[in-house]
Amino acid sequence: MRWIHRIVVRIGHLIPIPALAILSGCIAHTEPAELFALTPDVPKNRAMQTRMFETPNERELLSASAAVLQDLGFQVEESQREVGFLRAVKERSAREYGQYIRRMLLLILSMGKFLEPVDLHQKIAAALVARPLNPEATRQEIRIGFYRVVWKGDGQADQQYIPPGEQYMEMIRDPEIYQQFFAKLSKAVFLEAHRI
Amino acid sequence: MNRPTMQTTITSAGLLLAGVLSLHGCAPPQASQDLLAPTEAQMKIRSLQTRTFDLTDRNAAIRGVIASLQDLGFIIERAYEDLGLVTAARFAEPNYYDVVTITVTVRQETADRMSFRANAIYNNKPIEDPKVYQNFFAALQRALFLSQESKPST
Repeated sequence: MRWIHRIVVRIGHLIPIPALAILSGCIAHTEPAELFALTPDVPKNRAMQTRMFETPNERELLSASAAVLQDLGFQVEESQREVGFLRAVKERSAREYGQYIRRMLLLILSMGKFLEPVDLHQKIAAALVARPLNPEATRQEIRIGFYRVVWKGDGQADQQYIPPGEQYMEMIRDPEIYQQFFAKLSKAVFLEAHRI
Repeated sequence: MNRPTMQTTITSAGLLLAGVLSLHGCAPPQASQDLLAPTEAQMKIRSLQTRTFDLTDRNAAIRGVIASLQDLGFIIERAYEDLGLVTAARFAEPNYYDVVTITVTVRQETADRMSFRANAIYNNKPIEDPKVYQNFFAALQRALFLSQESKPST
């Protein structure tokens, strides 16, 4: 049985390495110039986030969008009709079963030394812009972006306590979320949502 | 030195040190005289941050700014037509811990010239890298050009 013990101890020694990698992630910086460069996934994201509607009524599209966001549980925080802009947020739990299972497995493998922080809470933001596509404004484009900020709970790496409240932020890239939104919007305005 | 005397010495030394420290804390930090004076570096940064385009429609220009920021993955936080002001932020993905904020103002210089000024901040530090602004204005030009191009196509 001694060899099993040895393997478990070895794995236990390996666990702090990913923990250190996670911690050191806070120090690494992205070059700001890269963040302002047009990357190859720009057209892909635009296609996912944008639909075209054959209507001259930008105002109705905007208010219908606000209503759909409300249906989805968002609170509209900012609206500017002159530039066709809406911003809405909602806060929800971010707990996932998968993360708890992973946390347990890591805890067992590291022999109680590493307790991974799990996601607890999230804030989802939606920024929506309507704009006319031609001078006569008979066609309108709706572009919406969903983003989320996630807050983690506390954890433990060996002797080091990981305090709660660590956060990370990301753009939501699941096309289904966007499809659902546009399906609801086209139903609300009785218009077909054309892909661009 | 017997024990009580030593203790007194240590206590008085401690008190003295605390006094010196607290006195030091009372002195307000002197603001330098030229804190708000324009410097040459500021003028240089301003010219980096400003660009003019031949445009007539102010509203379309503001919408162009919004479209370009959306293309770059920014979340629009505020957009005001009357002030010509757009504020947006994004996360420095793939690094999820840092935030980049940008404010763009649009001003009509003459009837057919529009001036754009952008300020970008990385976390709490102003970005002074010219490359950043070059990239932003390239994206803006593209958005303005695309929205203009889509006009004759109808």
